[in-house]
Amino acid sequence: MRYLLNRIALLALTLLLISIVTFILTNILPGNVATMIMGTRGNPVSIAALEQELGLNDPLVVQYGRWIGGMLQGDWGTSLRFKEPIGSLLGQKMAASGMIVVLSLIIAILSAIPLGVIAAVKQNRWPDTVSSGVALAGISLPDFFWGIVLILLFSRTLGWLPSSGFVSPADDFWLSIKHALLPAIALGLSLMAHLARMTRSAMLEVMSQDFIRVCRAKGLSEGSVILRHALQNAIAPVVTVAGLQLGYLFGSIIVVESLFNYTGMGWLTYQGLLNRDVPLIQATVFIIAAVFMLSNLIVDLIYTVLDPRISFD
Amino acid sequence: MTTAQLVTPAAPSEASRNAQRTRKRIANALLNTKGLIGLTLVIVFTLMAILAPIFVPEALSTKIDVTARLSPPTAAHLLGTDQLGRDLLFRVLLGAHTSMIIAVVAVGLSIALGLPLGVLSGYFKGWVDLGLSRLVDTLLSFPAILLALAISAVLGPNLRNTVLAIGIAFAPYLARIVRGETLKVTSLPYIEAARSQGASDMRIIRKYVLPNIMAPVIVQATISIAFAILAEAGLSFLGLGTQPPTPSWGLMIQASRDYLDVAPWTALVPGLAVALAVLGLNMLGDVLRDVLDPTFNSDR
Repeated sequence: MRYLLNRIALLALTLLLISIVTFILTNILPGNVATMIMGTRGNPVSIAALEQELGLNDPLVVQYGRWIGGMLQGDWGTSLRFKEPIGSLLGQKMAASGMIVVLSLIIAILSAIPLGVIAAVKQNRWPDTVSSGVALAGISLPDFFWGIVLILLFSRTLGWLPSSGFVSPADDFWLSIKHALLPAIALGLSLMAHLARMTRSAMLEVMSQDFIRVCRAKGLSEGSVILRHALQNAIAPVVTVAGLQLGYLFGSIIVVESLFNYTGMGWLTYQGLLNRDVPLIQATVFIIAAVFMLSNLIVDLIYTVLDPRISFD
Repeated sequence: MTTAQLVTPAAPSEASRNAQRTRKRIANALLNTKGLIGLTLVIVFTLMAILAPIFVPEALSTKIDVTARLSPPTAAHLLGTDQLGRDLLFRVLLGAHTSMIIAVVAVGLSIALGLPLGVLSGYFKGWVDLGLSRLVDTLLSFPAILLALAISAVLGPNLRNTVLAIGIAFAPYLARIVRGETLKVTSLPYIEAARSQGASDMRIIRKYVLPNIMAPVIVQATISIAFAILAEAGLSFLGLGTQPPTPSWGLMIQASRDYLDVAPWTALVPGLAVALAVLGLNMLGDVLRDVLDPTFNSDR
């Protein structure tokens, strides 16, 4: 309990520090919001008036207080690029990104576990070599390269899946899944590779234990020994690590969503960075960092529940 | 990012014997298949990075030849040409120079920033540790690529700023590893012994702490170079890294996007270059970690 309270206190402190870092980072951007709003229409007088109106001449501490105060009340400001309240933009885009992140997690787990199990069962034989090769390729190739290969194969050559865009599940559920599938696979491949290696290692460890020998001695079929006894014991750490990567996946969405023109949080962040849309950058960078940190905390807590040997007190 | 842990550091009296043993273990490990492939790839790409600018005049990689646009691999252009008729082989060779230089310098910068932060935090503990750890934890809350992108956008995209962005984004990972290792080392009796002999903090850090935490730093640096190559390619792919006409693998992949149907080799050639360089560094990093940290299981 003390550990939990400590972690929550630390979480609040780190969120505060994240907001400060984000604010400082975006405030050293050359030019300011007023010049960006006025664009080519602006002259020094009108820009100065707008700066005054927006409070850009106030000390940084005051500006930070105003930003964080607004954020706590759900007012994230207005995007300069999209001319829309950032709060509503964030809602839509988080849902879009959530979909590909969850989908990629499912794809990674469902493909990594069989790969890892086969590699462990056929250790040092060709299925093991193939599985290890797939894992190494997944780790070594950048996700945007996989994205290009996937577009080439499934969209341009086979014509099965769309290569870009986002469709809301509320409009057309299946079409939205079809649009999310290629970005989700590109995002999940490196995670799949890591998980396959982990599953192999965990399975090898479990299969060398005495209880597996007992299962075999009892005359259980090999399938039952592997799937019901070995895998069940090997899977917990694999799933936990998969959860731990949720935040990492949120970090990788910028590149993947930009490649697939999938209008989620990553795409929104990229648009903010490209257009120097300061309020949008502040909001998206803060949200991604907060999600990244929260997912790590949740996995830490799940870990203590899953494995009673771990105590942080 | 992968983290590495270190073996129990050696007492100074055993240091030379241990160093000898470690050198022997590294030599043996590098001679196994994985070590050999990793080392070979790393040597090949390092040589490419060093020799390419000497043997390939930049003019050759930027020479536009509209008559040979999107040519598949032929005798005249061994790896084909891009949308402007530029030779992909020359561009990949010079791209190796760009990628490796950026990656190595950025990782050097992350060591220069992360090492002192981690050592100070782990050695002095208390308030220093609390303050520095909060700073490091805060920076670790930003996914490295997001931090690098934000820094690059703030500073403006160019070669120097790409190095700065990647170096700063990777520094907290190194600081965290160094802090952990420093904490372990400082709890050992020989540090107590040095202290009781009146050695100053600076001397203890220089003579006893730093030499005993270098192994995980080397392992992490090797793996970080692989991640830095990926990060550089990612930043350049998004237009926030190396800028044209400088040849960069990420830029080459980005430029290939519109020609995938007709000239898939324009994406595959730089993509494979990234993959092989990263693969080599990962394999070498794995082997080094197995030798320098027998307690660490790279798959877990």
